[in-house]
Order: sequence, then C-alpha cells, then structure tokens
Amino acid sequence: MNKAIEMFDFSYSYPDGTRALSHVTLSIERGQKTVLIGPNGAGKSSLLMAIAGFARGSGKILINGLELNKKNLKAIRAILGCCLENPDDQLFMPRLRDDIAFGPLNMGLAPEQIEERVNEALSTVGLAHKADKAPHHLSAGQKRAAAIATLLSMNPEIITFDEPDGSLDPRNRNTLTGLLKGLSQTLVIATCNMNFAYAVADRTVLVDQGRIIADGHPQTIMCKRDLMHTHGLEVPLVPE
Amino acid sequence: MHHAHIDRFAYQDSPIHRLDSRIKLIIVLVFTGLVVSLPRTSVAAPLCYGLGPFSMLVLANIPLRFVAKHILLICPFILVLALSCVLYDRTPTTVAFGPFLWHMTSGWLRCFAIAVKYLVSMLALIALISTTPFGDLLVGLQRLRVPSPLLIQLGFLYRYIFVIIDSAHHMLRARSTRKLRFLGWRTELRVAGAMIGSLLMRSLDTAERISLAMQARGFSGRWHTLSTTRIGLGDWIFSATAFTYMLGLSLIFRPFSG
Repeated sequence: MNKAIEMFDFSYSYPDGTRALSHVTLSIERGQKTVLIGPNGAGKSSLLMAIAGFARGSGKILINGLELNKKNLKAIRAILGCCLENPDDQLFMPRLRDDIAFGPLNMGLAPEQIEERVNEALSTVGLAHKADKAPHHLSAGQKRAAAIATLLSMNPEIITFDEPDGSLDPRNRNTLTGLLKGLSQTLVIATCNMNFAYAVADRTVLVDQGRIIADGHPQTIMCKRDLMHTHGLEVPLVPE
Repeated sequence: MHHAHIDRFAYQDSPIHRLDSRIKLIIVLVFTGLVVSLPRTSVAAPLCYGLGPFSMLVLANIPLRFVAKHILLICPFILVLALSCVLYDRTPTTVAFGPFLWHMTSGWLRCFAIAVKYLVSMLALIALISTTPFGDLLVGLQRLRVPSPLLIQLGFLYRYIFVIIDSAHHMLRARSTRKLRFLGWRTELRVAGAMIGSLLMRSLDTAERISLAMQARGFSGRWHTLSTTRIGLGDWIFSATAFTYMLGLSLIFRPFSG
C-alpha cells in the first residue's frame, strides 16, 4: 500500500451552511510533498482540517489505509501531525522543551526516549539552544521552526502545514523551505505564496471554491498563466 | 511586540537560580505566612525578615530597580488598605525606637506595619519569580501535588496573556489611526465595548485553535510534563539556612502574638 492519504467524494459545510469542500477526491503518495494552492477562502485550510479529522463531512478519508473515524482517531493522531497557521496556537506550553515533549508524552513513550526525541527535533530545526526558553521569547521564524519541532518529536509519517510561510521574512522563508525539503515525511502544505509553493512542491493541487481545479507537477500547473490568473493566483518567479 | 516580563531575569545563572523550584516555593510560602502573622503593629520585625529575600535578590544579581518598579506597581492597592486604618483607628499610642519616642495614632502604626509587610512579602515573591522560570514553577507545583486543571490554567494564563495584550495593542493602534476627534462619552464607551467584545471573540477563537493543536498531538484530558527536577545538596543547604533563619526570627518576634 503506497497511499498516505486518500479522500473519496468528500464534502464539508461550515455550521452556518457555507459549503467549504465539494466532492473532493484526492490521493497522495507516501513521501510526496503536495502543495495546495488557491486564493483566500478557496477551501485549502478546510481540506487540511478534514485530513486531520477536525472537519467531519460526507465521503471517506483514509490515512495510511486507516479509515478516518472516531475509532481510529487515536491511531491516526500518532501518524499525522498537524501544523496550524499561527504558531502561537501550536506553542501552548510555558517552556519550549515541554511543548516539544507534549506529543511524545501523550504517546506514552519512556522518559529517555522522549528526551532523545525532543533533543533531536530541536536540533533538526536549529533551536537546541532555545530549549528552556518560553515561546513568547522567540522570533516569528523561530516560533515557526519550533511549531514544526513539536510535530517532528512525534515522528509522524504525514504532516500538514497551513500557510507555514506566513509573516516570514525571505531569510526565514528560505530556511523553512530548506527544512521542509529535507523532511522525509509525506507533507501536505497549504499556501498562497507561489514562489514558496514552487520551491517546496513535488506536486501541486489547485483548489478553488471547495473543488480541485487542477492537479499535477508544479511546472505544468503553476506555469499556466491563464489558469493561475483565472483563480486569482500568480505565476511564480522560476529561477533560471 | 516586546513585553516587560516579570520573569525576565529567571533565565540567568546564579546559585539561587539553580535551586529546585519546590524548595523555593515552600520557603517563600512559609516565609510569607510568618510575615503576615506577625503582630498587627509590628514594624521592626518584618523589616528584619526582609533581609532574607533581599539577600536572595542580591545573590541572584536581580537589579534592585526592577524590584522597586514591581513593588511600586501594585502598591496603590495596598496603600488604600493601609491608609484606611488611619481613618478608623485613632487611639493615641507611643512608639519607641532606642532613645527615640514618637506619638502617633494606632491607625498610623498599623498602616506602616501593613506597608512594611507588603514590601517584605513582595521581596520574597519577586525573589521567587525572578529566579525561577515559570515552567519550572509549574513543574514544582505539580510535584507538590497541586491539581492538574489549576496548573493547566496557570500555564495558559502565562502563555497567552501576552498574546491577548498584543491583540489589544493592535486594536488600539488601529483605532487611533482612524480616531481623529473625541466622539462623546456614549460613542466612545460603545466603541470600547465593541473592542472588548471583539477581543473576547478572538480569545475564544484562539482557545478553539489551541484545543485543536492539543488534540492533534494526542491530548485526551490527562496532563503530562517532562519534569527533570531533582533536589541536590545545594537545595538542602539552602533549606537548612532558610529555616534556621526563619526559626530564629520567629523566636525573637513571636508570630500570632498580637
């Protein structure tokens, strides 16, 4: 079985009745870095929420072959990490080390193993020297990296990111791009930044009005000027 | 946005910073209890007690200006309480200090006593907070078996109070960029009410997202923390010194005696 995520005819509406996702069918291979692009309000975040099991709708979702339902939710939480748009929402413990350890502690790992995972995750994102700091003492880029570390410590097979490049300066964005490209996990990233999307993606899925409009290699999708402009997007500046 | 955190010196390194948070917590609690229970008109006794936390602050290299600023910050509340004694207790009394004698009312004496007790208790509290990162304090409280829901609330309060303050600052800034004149009390109050309401809604949204982040990392209601605290020889020596000091003072100035 080579599929990390499979969605079959999935639809979801907000409690006020607004349709967020409409008959979405999507399949993502293991290890693939899939970037969801689309204008604001297209349904990218809802799609990520659905994959993470926070938006229950009609249709079927399989994560690593496990059907996303109440019974399998605990097992799926250990497989799938979910990185929210605002790192302040992700970093809720008073000390960074405790935040990184939060997931492994809930997984019931042994203290030595947790210590090892925390140190490894912090080193991966380059924040080993900030382990005992409070999250509000970190810069925006460091908070973003720390939010990723909170997931890496759980060693998930799949990670979803909602606008991970938001409010980052070019240097921090490049660092993040390098970090994401270096991860071996299956990544699903939602972003409005086309240059960032192009730099990270193995595959691009264009979403608009809750539907999948186009799906394919970044070059074939993102270099189509008409398609991009029709959906309020821009063609990335592709380096020579 | 940068905030003046009360624990901004807690990440320094000194013998006091290295002490176990449980030891510091227990000592500060006992100390405050003793100071509060000193006689109602005692002024000299709490001042002698003050030497302990003052030494801690000096040993920990905490700037005294920072300490004074935080003491002054809360003092208006205490001063209202202290000054009220002056109004209702006007019994004349005489205070002796060595060869000097003063005539005043009991109310004033109690007022001074409250002010000094407040000063000394605040010194102890600041010594604790400025030498212990908040996370360590929570771990210490957890080890002392403080109920987990209370610790979660304290942790969230510390973590998110600054986020909410930032939000409020951003809203005030946005308002001031568009506010060109005073609109009358009624309208101003309505705007302020709307802003507070909006802040509340944002806080609820944030709380919801935090809940999602916690669930996504396997939280199911039970709180676990990575605690690495250990009581060492330095902690025992500090405890012995502190308790001997407090015992000595309580033998000289009997608490609960007036």
